[in-house]
Amino acid sequence: MFEIATRRRPYVLLAVTLVFQILLLAVQFKRPDGARLIRVWAVELLTPAERAGSWALDSVSGAWSGYIGLFRANRENQRLRAQLGELSLQNSGLESRAAEAQRLAALLDFRSAHPDAPLLAARVIGGDAGAGRAIYLDRGERDGVQQNMGVITPQGVVGKVLEVYSTTSQVLLLTDKNGGAGALLANSRTQGAAKGSGGPLLDLEYVSNDQDVAVGELVLTSGMDRIFPKDLPLGVVADARPGNTFKQIQLRPAARLDRLEEVLILLSRRQWEWEQPSAAAAEANPATHAPSRDAGAPSATRNEPATAHSAAPVVPVKKDKP
Amino acid sequence: MNPSEIAENASAPPILIRGVSEPRLEVHKFRTGAVVGASFLALVLQAFVPAHVWKGNIVGDLIELPLLVTLYFGLSRRNPSRGLLLGMVIGMAQDGLTGANLIGLFGIAKTIVGYLASTIGARLDVEHPVSRMVLAFAFFHLHNLVYVFTRRWLLAQAAPLMTVRILVASLVAALLAWPLFALLDKLRKDEN
Repeated sequence: MFEIATRRRPYVLLAVTLVFQILLLAVQFKRPDGARLIRVWAVELLTPAERAGSWALDSVSGAWSGYIGLFRANRENQRLRAQLGELSLQNSGLESRAAEAQRLAALLDFRSAHPDAPLLAARVIGGDAGAGRAIYLDRGERDGVQQNMGVITPQGVVGKVLEVYSTTSQVLLLTDKNGGAGALLANSRTQGAAKGSGGPLLDLEYVSNDQDVAVGELVLTSGMDRIFPKDLPLGVVADARPGNTFKQIQLRPAARLDRLEEVLILLSRRQWEWEQPSAAAAEANPATHAPSRDAGAPSATRNEPATAHSAAPVVPVKKDKP
Repeated sequence: MNPSEIAENASAPPILIRGVSEPRLEVHKFRTGAVVGASFLALVLQAFVPAHVWKGNIVGDLIELPLLVTLYFGLSRRNPSRGLLLGMVIGMAQDGLTGANLIGLFGIAKTIVGYLASTIGARLDVEHPVSRMVLAFAFFHLHNLVYVFTRRWLLAQAAPLMTVRILVASLVAALLAWPLFALLDKLRKDEN
């Protein structure tokens, strides 16, 4: 190494002295614009270096900040995902509660609309694992529930209490083969008997072939079963065709029996008047309504139209045996 | 090891044996202060005589004593490092004393002249008067070339590469080299 340096000494010395003198000249010499040559050289020499340094610094800084940003974004993403999961869960709960609140509000409205009716709100706590035609409620004997009490929702009739336990009760749905209710075609006021078919629909029996029954026609409770008050929504006509003696009519239950969560239990089996929203108007003009002419009919007949159909033979609802 | 390195490393003995097949070239030593004195004198003469003695005389512009002194000591001492350093000092001093140039213009030119003269001196026999005159003529133009190139390239100044004055000055330098070099030979140490 030393030998090489010694051998190269003249060249190195020559280069050093020349560079030194060139720099000396540059220090002394002023360009026409007044700038010293050394300053111009320094700027020209340093500018690319500064630019390169700045670029390198920016690149490193950008890469670093990008990495940090990515790392932070990843952490933020994980945190947000966890938060999203929690919020989704919370949202589901809130939606469920909102739906429940709506249902309860509907029950409350219904209950408020019928202050004289002895109603007891109950929550569906289970269903039959088998046919699914019975449900369990969280109300029982302690709450005053008894066998054969009607169970309804604001949308319509659900069924009747089949078994009563101390704190729970079993309800037989309308659609069960043993279920049913006294029915009344809303338009013609023709009475019949709605019976469960074991499927999602009900059969409306004892309606003569000469009756006009339209699909979509509303069917109400007739009150003849002494379980449900008169004029509660029972279902709508889904299909109607002539039979041998009576029409073969199928009803779609008014209450969504497959989505029951809260229901109302009719605590009294006595015949009480079921006040319809039009009751006030009926009271205001009693002349338009006639009293019931059927001793066996429910007493809630104030709003029953005085038609020929009101005198139709009463079809007894099949009494269910628990 | 090349000849210049041999010459540089073997400055102690007065005679360098470069090889059986190569000619013997002497590395001359000078009396104490001879180099400094001769250089100083050349600078003084170059700076003050044309200005104070030959005022407005063209003779003053044609003589380049510092260049000849640089060339002579470079050729005689045959040491590139010393040659270029001496050329640099003389050139920068000339720049400073004449005041016509920025310091470094003659310095750069004479640095190169001193280096090349030392390198050539280590390879050629430069004791003959004719070769000295030829070398003086050639190095004058080399000196001028470097000077002009430096001014043009570095300082962006116009400078003629060849004029009659330059040609005449180079001839004057060649003619002057003969007696001047012979005179400077007297400053050598007696090698016997």
